[in-house]
Amino acid sequence: MPAAMATAESDSRLIERVGRGDREAFEQLYKRFARPVFGMALRQLGDNGRAEDAAQETFAAVWRSARTYKAERGTASAWLYAVARHAIIDRARQKRENAAEAPDEADTRAGPVEQAEESWLTWRVHSALELLPERERVVIELAYWSGLSQTEIASYLDVPLGTVKTRTRTGLARLAGLLEEVKG
Amino acid sequence: MSEKPDFRELVGDDLTPEEELELARVDSLLRSVAGPATEVPSSLTTRVEQIGTATPIWTRRRVLAAVALAATLAALFFAAGRWLDRGFDARASFDMTPGKTVPDASGKIELGRRDESTGNWKMRLVVDGLPHLAGNDYYVLWLARDGEYAGACGTFNVNGRTTVDLTASYDLSEYDAWVITRVGEDSPWLLSAET
Repeated sequence: MPAAMATAESDSRLIERVGRGDREAFEQLYKRFARPVFGMALRQLGDNGRAEDAAQETFAAVWRSARTYKAERGTASAWLYAVARHAIIDRARQKRENAAEAPDEADTRAGPVEQAEESWLTWRVHSALELLPERERVVIELAYWSGLSQTEIASYLDVPLGTVKTRTRTGLARLAGLLEEVKG
Repeated sequence: MSEKPDFRELVGDDLTPEEELELARVDSLLRSVAGPATEVPSSLTTRVEQIGTATPIWTRRRVLAAVALAATLAALFFAAGRWLDRGFDARASFDMTPGKTVPDASGKIELGRRDESTGNWKMRLVVDGLPHLAGNDYYVLWLARDGEYAGACGTFNVNGRTTVDLTASYDLSEYDAWVITRVGEDSPWLLSAET
């Protein structure tokens, strides 16, 4: 799908510019990926402070190693995801090392493979959301994760119901293009 | 979190089957993942803004300054070396006579001061006209007595006119000649001088 490809190229170009020490590209990359990175860190570390540390380390690592990124080896999003995961795992490991003896509780979480798949899927969805126009992203996030109905969203945003429906549908169609490679 | 939205309410009912399938897939994905972070802490943004802005240790200016300093130091050391060279205090000089195999060669041994604490003599050998030796071959400066090699003062190779600093810890009064040979028992005396 052209939209997804164009986005991937755009991310790649940004990383390549960052690799050449381009601050403006770095800021753009941060704006685009700050929420997915911080969100993933927060979900996996469960702590605002540590999540912030991990997110900071992610972007520090991006700044340091962007020149090693090779577009032909994979998508920019996958590269950023790997960098973020590495930083988050490092933080989680530090947490474990610093923690006292763990309590005897059954671990009901999904296995590592399932967790990794879920994490990657979430990353892709959240990264794609960041590429939507703000007006479309907001209505989709309110619809799926705030529990508001379309009418309530229209009221909350103070826009006509028809506008909410149009933005939602347009946003979903755009997401479909961006997420084409993600198997449902 | 409240209930998930109704798909039909979100997309309406005027879609083509293809469009509906595509949007249903996205809808399914959105329902399967947790919501994104509501917002990024401003403190994170502030911290990230600092990345890469700290002055690196090796700025371009510092590199240039370091190169200039290194060049200055090299020049100083070179000048000091030259000054120390001039400071070689020759107390005696011995001109060497070429042997039959190298009639155009010449050599001179300058004898410097003796270090009283170690007993070493400083020597400077200047040779010209000897061929450069390839491989592991080399020349040897000997002290000789009664026509026999008696003490080695050092080895060297040459490339045109060559100056070599050596030391000898012998009592020079016990020897009667300086001799230069190629390494190897059969080498003739190439250059020699009486002590």
